[in-house]
Amino acid sequence: MTQDSKTSLPGAPLARREFVKNSLVAAGGVMLAPAFARAQSSPAGEINVALVGLGVQGRVLLDAMLNVPGLRFRAVCDIWEYSRTYGQRKLAKEGFEVNAYQDIEDMLEKEKDLDAAIVATPDLWHARHTNLCLKAGLHVYCEKMMARTVEEARSMVLTARETGKLLQIGHQRRSNPRYQHCYNNLIKKAKIPGRITNLNGQWNRAVTPDVGWPKKYAIDEATLKRYGYADMHQFRNWRWFKDLSGGPISDLGAHQIDIFNWFLDAYPKSVFASGGADYYPSREWYDNVMVIYEYDTSYGPVRAFYQTLTTTSAGGGYWEYFMGDEGSIKFSENPSLSKIYREERAPSWDKWIDLHYLTQSEAPAPAKDAKVDVRETAPLAQFDIPVALDKPPHQPHLENFFSAIKGEAKLNADGEHSFKSEVGIFRVNEAVAARRVLEFQPSDFEV
Amino acid sequence: MGRPLRGRPAARGAASPPVARGAADPPETDNPNYRIMKKTLLTLAAVSAASILAAADKAPIELDYPAPFLSGTPVPIVLPNLESPDAPQPTVLAPAGVSNIAFGKEVTSSDDFPIIGELELVTDGDKESEEGYFVELAQGPQWVQIDLESTATIYGLGLWHFHTQKRAYVDVVVQLSDDESFESGVTTVFNNDHDNSLGFGAGRDMAYVETNKGKLIGAKETKARYVRLYSDGNTSNEMNHYVEVEVFGEY
Repeated sequence: MTQDSKTSLPGAPLARREFVKNSLVAAGGVMLAPAFARAQSSPAGEINVALVGLGVQGRVLLDAMLNVPGLRFRAVCDIWEYSRTYGQRKLAKEGFEVNAYQDIEDMLEKEKDLDAAIVATPDLWHARHTNLCLKAGLHVYCEKMMARTVEEARSMVLTARETGKLLQIGHQRRSNPRYQHCYNNLIKKAKIPGRITNLNGQWNRAVTPDVGWPKKYAIDEATLKRYGYADMHQFRNWRWFKDLSGGPISDLGAHQIDIFNWFLDAYPKSVFASGGADYYPSREWYDNVMVIYEYDTSYGPVRAFYQTLTTTSAGGGYWEYFMGDEGSIKFSENPSLSKIYREERAPSWDKWIDLHYLTQSEAPAPAKDAKVDVRETAPLAQFDIPVALDKPPHQPHLENFFSAIKGEAKLNADGEHSFKSEVGIFRVNEAVAARRVLEFQPSDFEV
Repeated sequence: MGRPLRGRPAARGAASPPVARGAADPPETDNPNYRIMKKTLLTLAAVSAASILAAADKAPIELDYPAPFLSGTPVPIVLPNLESPDAPQPTVLAPAGVSNIAFGKEVTSSDDFPIIGELELVTDGDKESEEGYFVELAQGPQWVQIDLESTATIYGLGLWHFHTQKRAYVDVVVQLSDDESFESGVTTVFNNDHDNSLGFGAGRDMAYVETNKGKLIGAKETKARYVRLYSDGNTSNEMNHYVEVEVFGEY
């Protein structure tokens, strides 16, 4: 399976930096990009990092990691030469000369001083790549969903336990200071929603065509088949194929259903779902899914609705909505989609405003004669979340991972908790197919 | 291979010249200023008519757009000078028959070693924005430069950075010159560097969200051989991408 795919990059980064600097200065006093200066230093105590998978998500993680000090990038691994080249050249511009590999076993055999791997390969490879890296003595940050099946995800937790290495799953909202503020302060301390009774969430996306690829960089058929893809179309559009991933409910819902579980401190007791491959003729997975979860929490039952639609961005894209008898928090990674509403029956929130837990954005509208119906609820007072994330969305979660490696932090989305949170997501597609309510047993959440 | 773009045939007779209103006014021969005023008005009318005749030989440049393609969930775009997504393209006039003279021309860059893609993609006539159709330059302020091979009268430019994910590019400056090093004789035809971070002066042009429609930029009929385009990353990341640049001019 392995082959000698190690390559080295031509050209010296320092020479290139000088060229850029001279060119830009000659062009009119343009400032040198600060990253070039940063990459020249090489402090002790660095974490040696390998990047496994450099597709869209791998590149997003790479961009975020370049803002994190103390990392030394050593290797990139991807079955596609185009992506390997991207990673190698991008890192060269940052002052890191890295080796490139097509095969992960080849990389692990030759790179002996790695400390951590960032796994951002398609879902079908997550378990194998994570387990290989953990067994090679590396700490692993693996993108969500953890795996394609619950059994594969369970194997990852077991390997992490056996090896004693850290396993962080890419549920990046768990490290977002706005989400942490919402959980720790608004829900736990201030109890802004009162008793939470219902949740709502969605990730709706407008129609998107299939992803293409540069024909001159197509992977040969034998290599594609060796790695589980029928052809380049499958390789580039793996999220839509049943053997390769869990589809949109897995890809998108994983982020938000994890938030349901985290904020409720509970896992669902049942799931009912409906969905279908209704719109895109060539895609295997359900392009729309609607899910209802039932939870038993310490304060009573909670029912949650979640939908992911891939033919419309209606409803404002993506958010989670925690609804209680005293207030509601509509929450999103996008601050413009976030808002807090106060029910009239709620006790005063002045204390929490004084503590800067929230800010009032709009006073309730006065009662108007134009009210449509006397039974209509009056508009609620609106508040905002006064916490901002001033970094790329994935950066705090990566920082948490690297801090944990240094022994300075605890993982925010370790494999054990992520597994429990993802069990309910794994079963959505099963519930769609069964067309009935599926019950969870406590053992389902155990490893 | 993309086909060359042309200005449409001039729309003739669509507008009446704004002639001076003297013909409808009563004679004012007794007025000592009348002859001076009349001469001025006639001069203005002559200039205006000349402009109108010139304009009548021109038509708005209309760009050919690739198919729209948007993937993923957009990252919020926050810039102080961001124009409305509904803002129309500006009207840029060019003589009928003017085509994209940048097609196939040599491209150089402040980044001689792109992260992905080749500089030739900037002028290859293909405006698709997927993998394999764009060149990605290093982070920070970077430029690409097109050599038109000889001096041309440039009427407008079409610019496509990257449009499969919504984003706006920062500090977009477009300059024209006959000097390859852009040290002299430089005309700036677009500048949305609102805080003068590039050092060319604060620009008043608006930042814009990239779509398959790109951006049409008027070039003031500048005579130049070289076109240089700057950017300093975008609202999704720090990188600089070019899908295509078209230059509408004639030699």
